[in-house]
Amino acid sequence: MPKLIIDEQEIEVPTGTKVIDAAEKLGIVIPRFCYHPALGSVGACRVCAVKFLQGPIKGVQMSCMIDARDGMVVSTTDEEVVDFRKHVIEWLMLNHPHDCPVCDEGGHCLLQDLTIAGGHGIRRFQGRKRTHHDQYLGPLIQHEMNRCIQCYRCSRFYQEFAGYRDLGVMQIGSRVYFGRYKAGTLESPFAGNLTDICPTGVYTDKPSRFIGRRWDYERSPSVCINCSLGCRTVVSVRYRQIVRQEAKFSEAVNGHFICDRGRYGFYYAGQDERPRYPRIRGKEASWENSLQAAFDGMERISRESGPAAVACVGSVRSSLETQAALKRLCRTKGWQGPVYGMDHDIEMKVKTAVFELDSDLAVSLRDLENADYILAVGVDPVNEAPMLAMAMRQAQRKGAKVALVDPRPISLPLDFCHLPVAPDAMGLWLSFLLKNMVGPDTSEAPGPKARKNLDGTVTEDLTPLWNPDQMEAVEKDFGQSLRPMIVCGTEIVPKTVPGLAADCARHLRSMKKASGLFYLFTGANAFGAALLSDIETSFEKILMGIETNTVRALVLVESDPYFNFPDRIRLEQALERLDVLVVLDYLDSRGVRAADVFFPTMPLYEAGGFFINQEGRARKAHAAFRGGRPIAQISGGSHPPRSFRDDIPGHKTKPAWLALTELADGTADHLEKEMHNKLMQWMVKAHPVFSDLSPVDVFPETGVRLNLGQGTGARIKRDRLAVPQSDFKPDGELVLITVDWTFGTEELSVRSPYLRQMEKDPCLFLSRKDAAQMGISDGDRVAIRSDAGTIHVHASVVENMAPGILVLPRHHRLDWQHLKALKITLNKNQILGMNEDTSC
Amino acid sequence: MYPQVLFQNRKPDRIASLEEYRASGGYAALADVLKNFSYKDVRAMVLDALLLGRGGAAFPAGRKVMTVADDAPFPRYIVCNADEMEPGTFKDRVLIHADPHMLIEGMIIEGYSARAEKGIIFMRPEYESAARILHREIEKAKAAGYLGNNILDSGYAFDIVVHRSGGRYICGEATAQINALEGKRPNPKQPPPYATEKGLWGQPTVTHNVETLVCIPHIIRNGPEWFRNLALTETGSGTKIFCVSGKVNRPGCYELPMGIRLSEIIETHAGGMRGGAKFKACLPGGASTAFLTAEFYDIEMDFETMKKAGHRLGTGAIMVFDHKTCLVAATLNLTEFFARESCGWCTPCREGFPYMRDLLWRIEHGQGQEEFVSTLKQMCRHLWNSYCAFAAGGVAPIESLLTHFKDEVYAHIREKKCPFKNG
Amino acid sequence: MLPEELKASLEKKISLADHPRELVVDVMFTFQDHYGFLSDEALEEAAVLLGMTPLEMEELATFYTFIFREPVGKYVIHVCDSIICWMNGYESIRDFLSQKLGIKMGETTSDGLFTLLPVCCIGYCDRAPAILINRKVYGPLTPEKLDKILEELRTEAG
Repeated sequence: MPKLIIDEQEIEVPTGTKVIDAAEKLGIVIPRFCYHPALGSVGACRVCAVKFLQGPIKGVQMSCMIDARDGMVVSTTDEEVVDFRKHVIEWLMLNHPHDCPVCDEGGHCLLQDLTIAGGHGIRRFQGRKRTHHDQYLGPLIQHEMNRCIQCYRCSRFYQEFAGYRDLGVMQIGSRVYFGRYKAGTLESPFAGNLTDICPTGVYTDKPSRFIGRRWDYERSPSVCINCSLGCRTVVSVRYRQIVRQEAKFSEAVNGHFICDRGRYGFYYAGQDERPRYPRIRGKEASWENSLQAAFDGMERISRESGPAAVACVGSVRSSLETQAALKRLCRTKGWQGPVYGMDHDIEMKVKTAVFELDSDLAVSLRDLENADYILAVGVDPVNEAPMLAMAMRQAQRKGAKVALVDPRPISLPLDFCHLPVAPDAMGLWLSFLLKNMVGPDTSEAPGPKARKNLDGTVTEDLTPLWNPDQMEAVEKDFGQSLRPMIVCGTEIVPKTVPGLAADCARHLRSMKKASGLFYLFTGANAFGAALLSDIETSFEKILMGIETNTVRALVLVESDPYFNFPDRIRLEQALERLDVLVVLDYLDSRGVRAADVFFPTMPLYEAGGFFINQEGRARKAHAAFRGGRPIAQISGGSHPPRSFRDDIPGHKTKPAWLALTELADGTADHLEKEMHNKLMQWMVKAHPVFSDLSPVDVFPETGVRLNLGQGTGARIKRDRLAVPQSDFKPDGELVLITVDWTFGTEELSVRSPYLRQMEKDPCLFLSRKDAAQMGISDGDRVAIRSDAGTIHVHASVVENMAPGILVLPRHHRLDWQHLKALKITLNKNQILGMNEDTSC
Repeated sequence: MYPQVLFQNRKPDRIASLEEYRASGGYAALADVLKNFSYKDVRAMVLDALLLGRGGAAFPAGRKVMTVADDAPFPRYIVCNADEMEPGTFKDRVLIHADPHMLIEGMIIEGYSARAEKGIIFMRPEYESAARILHREIEKAKAAGYLGNNILDSGYAFDIVVHRSGGRYICGEATAQINALEGKRPNPKQPPPYATEKGLWGQPTVTHNVETLVCIPHIIRNGPEWFRNLALTETGSGTKIFCVSGKVNRPGCYELPMGIRLSEIIETHAGGMRGGAKFKACLPGGASTAFLTAEFYDIEMDFETMKKAGHRLGTGAIMVFDHKTCLVAATLNLTEFFARESCGWCTPCREGFPYMRDLLWRIEHGQGQEEFVSTLKQMCRHLWNSYCAFAAGGVAPIESLLTHFKDEVYAHIREKKCPFKNG
Repeated sequence: MLPEELKASLEKKISLADHPRELVVDVMFTFQDHYGFLSDEALEEAAVLLGMTPLEMEELATFYTFIFREPVGKYVIHVCDSIICWMNGYESIRDFLSQKLGIKMGETTSDGLFTLLPVCCIGYCDRAPAILINRKVYGPLTPEKLDKILEELRTEAG
């Protein structure tokens, strides 16, 4: 560990630390523009210059480029180097426009900070400034090139870090220009990070342009809940609405960046349509009356038909407190549930994953960057959890090989080997991989038994299912790896896959490799849901109960089956039959409008709450503000009405957990803080794994990874020796799977007016082979006929997907809920190509 | 008459053919090397000959190839830097048009010493005829068995291709050149790693100037000692192609011993000052060197002597200025060159050169102010801390103008005009 | 569209290269020579051949002196304005050309024949003042010689 002296202070740092970072550890922040911890050192801006007085290096050098070494004596205050840095600032300001008054970056502008700090004032250069035309880059990012100081951060981030190819640096000398080849929306779903990393106002956040100054905002740490990765964010609030969401550095999860779905996905929280008052049968009512009405309704049903006639459904977008409060409600009342998802299979897969996720096997998103081999099974990173693609890319940049087993036409901003295996065959594929990797010497379960089983039972010819050479390559790569990691999805994969993935990871561990296991779930708090949900029932069972009159009341907590449940007609009919429907939510869903009693809840920006990501890391989102109608919505474009009131307009909302606790206790009289403590105590008692969350007041910013392993959840009876079946018949019918897309399918972000503009048109993916057989060409409009209705969509014919499979996004513009299931088998004649002039 | 080694086959209006080259002893060194010498022997000879790089940096050529480790991976590359865009420099062009096979042989031998299998000649696009000549002559050399898979039955394989640049001065910087060869933007790239460890395509790469490479066959032919003794000074070694241009009667390339006096170059070989003008100053090694004043008119032109006098021999491109030429205007022109050719990567160079060009323009056009001088001086000093050597070279004329021709500068400022302009 | 033969020969060259990207300048020059300048259409076509995005090709095309991203005349006259040519008559050559062709530096004659551009040292300092016309050197120049050259070119252009 080298020891060096910086400005007469000594410090010892890990080998490989740059001098600029060593200085920062001492509290000395050396100016920098082009240096960024995620983008590395390139030595372009020259503003981090320091003077090396003694040691292995002497003279003026760039502190970001030099590794700290023993015996170095560094001065940041040496006259020559201070003058040099002053000149660098002057040079950078040569062409910089006097835009501060009209530039959004003002107040959080690195150039402003360093210019003032460097003492630069009056411009003495008498020449003309070079100017540029700006480029339209899409609805999310504003481009103002005159402000550029040529730090090259944007092109380095966009191309080197993120791997996208439509933004870069053109021209030469003082004319260099950062932008696209032609104006147009940036292709990368990580482009929003440009607004974070640009040290001046070249790239600014377009949706929040001109809304306020940095110092006008109340900024608060939060968590993104648009996927299960749980990236750290910072939200800015002004006048009772979230104005902007930025990336917050997280060592364990997202590093310095977030994806655009998260960045611009918060608009649901401030929508005009958001319901803010309790309602009884559609009419506004007070909380007391509504609570009473709901309570009475539930009690009546319970009395008449037994407590199990009341069923509770939560969701994976709720905070842990809300999910726990719902469980407490069910336990207290003896009601059926809770379940937190619409699909029992997916719930079981997640539960299996949570059960298998030992503390020593689990790796975080950042840990993935250190893998030397990644096998991903059943995930589409860019569409499901974009930051996962970033982590995989960083691993690959460091030399890792990446293989991905998935039927979908996946594209990633990195080199990877795609193994297009049909969903139903993925379990068998993993079993065979495991069997082949298990050598004769392995004594650990499931090894030899599994091998024997597979050898004994599988007789069919498997060659149409996958390419044996590719599997061999995977085995070989695993064999040669030192830090292999398995990324496993829980959505389109068969039920056996999450367990098999864990088996593989464990087996690799037994081969003395530092293997890791990483699951992806289908919602922000799916982990919490998995720990809390009742395995005896399911949404399917509840629906059946409704249809057979054994369930007469339903409580929906921040859950919208109209959006998520794949059989719309059945759902509608079932909800018609219900005696009582109680809904708690912050979204204006159809369920809300159909409710007998409705309670408006708070999104996480107003309520705060714990969220547990797919790694089992619990994070606390802080309440950014107390809630209430955004002033913009009540001011009519002018000053808010000058009427005095002692409450905040639109503030009749409560955190869902509070409302549920009041429903359970039958009273709304306690202090919120007290109720929260009580709830936490109940949670810890019912599930000891949550003891890591206390005490709540001093919960660390970095989150706490729950102590996984024994006792984290219900033991899932997993038949380790069962042979995964393959129902897949290559030449028979087609299997249609519904999937997530980056934009257009996720419940919260689809409400963002800006992300609406980023959505691609929904399309049906099919392989070239199948398309040829069905006489469908790329771009043709097709009709998917089910007995519930027809879905019209255009076809996208691709090479890189598994044959016999159709892929349809659960796009909010499609009536995909006519399909009746998330995955269905279709006859080829249920897909019809439509001619332009065929009316239907 | 001094011995003509590199120019021994030079003709006024055409290249020396393969046969003519062979007749003068060409490719004998290659045959000798392949039959009798190991790659280490060749390295030792080149090192012993004290051959310093003639592209401007004067790095010992023998030492450069020695940094290619014995167990370094293959393939390895030899890059011939024929980008020659240093103003005043045209020796490489003349060399290629004189004796292209001398360059080819030099490259093959250097390739052998590095155990490289591919040579690339990086050619500036302004030298289209040189590119065509080399294309043609490489084919002839291949047909004659000097290139290809089994050169002269030795088992050694080496091939040469010509790579045309799109045209930029910075492409002459060795690390930027590698980026250009890889089809990337030709910004320089600071080591580590050094190119001889990880250069072109991440492989060991040795880059040499044209003039450096053409010396190598002769070192092999006649021995390192002979090469050293060609020079007139103790510290010098070999001959040098001096390109003389500017206010002389006979601008052109002259092969003269290392260490020859500047005065002799100008008066005896370049025909003396044009129109009987007086020698005022010269840039001794291209635009990236300092003005050499009359005080050093007799200086011996070799790398060491020049360094001791606080100057640089650089490329040996001597640009002569007479007493009628305004050096402020000349410096302005030189700074305009650097401002235009700056690649734009680092701040001091990208912004500093346009800034200094503006100041010099104002001085030259009667808008100069006293404080410009100190501003310029300070900026020049700071430009030494740029990312690559481009800026350090570019400020050399400005610094020397302000040091040695202060009076001329102040005259411009005081008189509010250029004293050298008529009217 | 590039003529089939030319495209085929380029594709062959690219397929033979160890690293196709190293041919990017050659490809740009080929397209430029065919189209007269590297137009948007030419650039996009060239990018496809090399598996590059248009942006990636633009990053390179706009860096280099001899790649033209704007239309140029049939004959591009590059007049060297670096130190030696400057000392030896650059200004009078420039003014002569400007006056003779009726255009300023950076412009193209209305008949589409000549474009006038400055250029940095072309390496013909012994033949100063020198110029390049379509990368062919002419020098040392006098107004008379220039006249003759222009005449020849006009005749050649037909």
